[in-house]
Amino acid sequence: MNLLRLALVFAKVGAVVFGGGFVMIPFIQREVVQHYGWLTQQQFVDAIALGQITPGPILISATFIGYKVQGLTGAVVATLAVFLPSFLMTALAARQLSRLRSNPRIAGFLRGVLPAVVAMLVMAAISIARSSLGLDWPLLLLTLIALTLLVRFKVDAVYVVLGAGVVGFLMEHWCRPG
Amino acid sequence: MSARIVVTPSRGSPSLLQLAHVMLKVGATGFGMGMVGVLHQEVVTRRAWLAQEEFADGLALANLLPGPIAVDVAVYVGYRLRGWAGATLCLLALLVPAFVIMLALTIAYLRYGQVPQLHGAFKGLNAAVVALVLSVAYRIGKSSLKSAAQVALATVALGAAFLHANLVVLVLACGLVGALLLHPRPKAVAP
Repeated sequence: MNLLRLALVFAKVGAVVFGGGFVMIPFIQREVVQHYGWLTQQQFVDAIALGQITPGPILISATFIGYKVQGLTGAVVATLAVFLPSFLMTALAARQLSRLRSNPRIAGFLRGVLPAVVAMLVMAAISIARSSLGLDWPLLLLTLIALTLLVRFKVDAVYVVLGAGVVGFLMEHWCRPG
Repeated sequence: MSARIVVTPSRGSPSLLQLAHVMLKVGATGFGMGMVGVLHQEVVTRRAWLAQEEFADGLALANLLPGPIAVDVAVYVGYRLRGWAGATLCLLALLVPAFVIMLALTIAYLRYGQVPQLHGAFKGLNAAVVALVLSVAYRIGKSSLKSAAQVALATVALGAAFLHANLVVLVLACGLVGALLLHPRPKAVAP
């Protein structure tokens, strides 16, 4: 049955692939394009592109794939299935973490983890910048302005995101006419 | 009882309705990892529901577990604030805006066979995502990298990440160093 297969494919990818949404994309591709042939390669690429212009998680492309396979029910099933395993693991781990926190070794572990978290965030920012901004200096300037607004002036993220989208749109239209 | 590090929990747990409101906002404005930035601004900077270190623990957890990072952090925040109900609500509220928009785009795509061309706006949005992620790094780094050892560890970790070190291994290795060297000494007198 397609619906069950759909749920299993997405739950499997959600349960075993580490490293965030982007890393999971090739695994999903292998299953839904190569293995089951639910989507053509072009449709898959377009599904990911749509996922990226949609706010929220990158993996919301699951909605597209589910819809293609089994309509609205498929969309709901695929979307929930891809997030369900890590939802369960995260909530269970959060529960353990609050209990273990008073242990000095665990507290030390968490203090050691903080620098890794900071490094991980900087690295994530660099790799997103590399893949989607390139070395385009107006975009890097835009990033710097957005960062200043967020950190220095504590501007609401909503306005920063909207503003950056509008500025990016206008930049393209004014700088490269036609 | 010996004095242990007491984690001051949130200043007043939010209601489920407040939590849903915040998550809908995060889901509607954060793009990918950008959600971590919006979430941090709402939950730590603006509302002080969680301390910097508690939020950072969620990020560490998200890296150690499979699945998407930003969604895991949102689930962690929900669980910390309101248990299972909070975690479930956070996941669903986070997904609703994306699901509705994606469904509309999918139906339009299957009818017209075209992806809207939004290159310029999309690049601008990504600039905001990079800024949001860096803002979280800055705030967590500033408030919680207190000792020289932690700053050194962050530098080494960043270098290793640059050289494509596995992030799960990196988080575990840094944690291990912390467990051995950075654990709090039990104090003789409680303040």
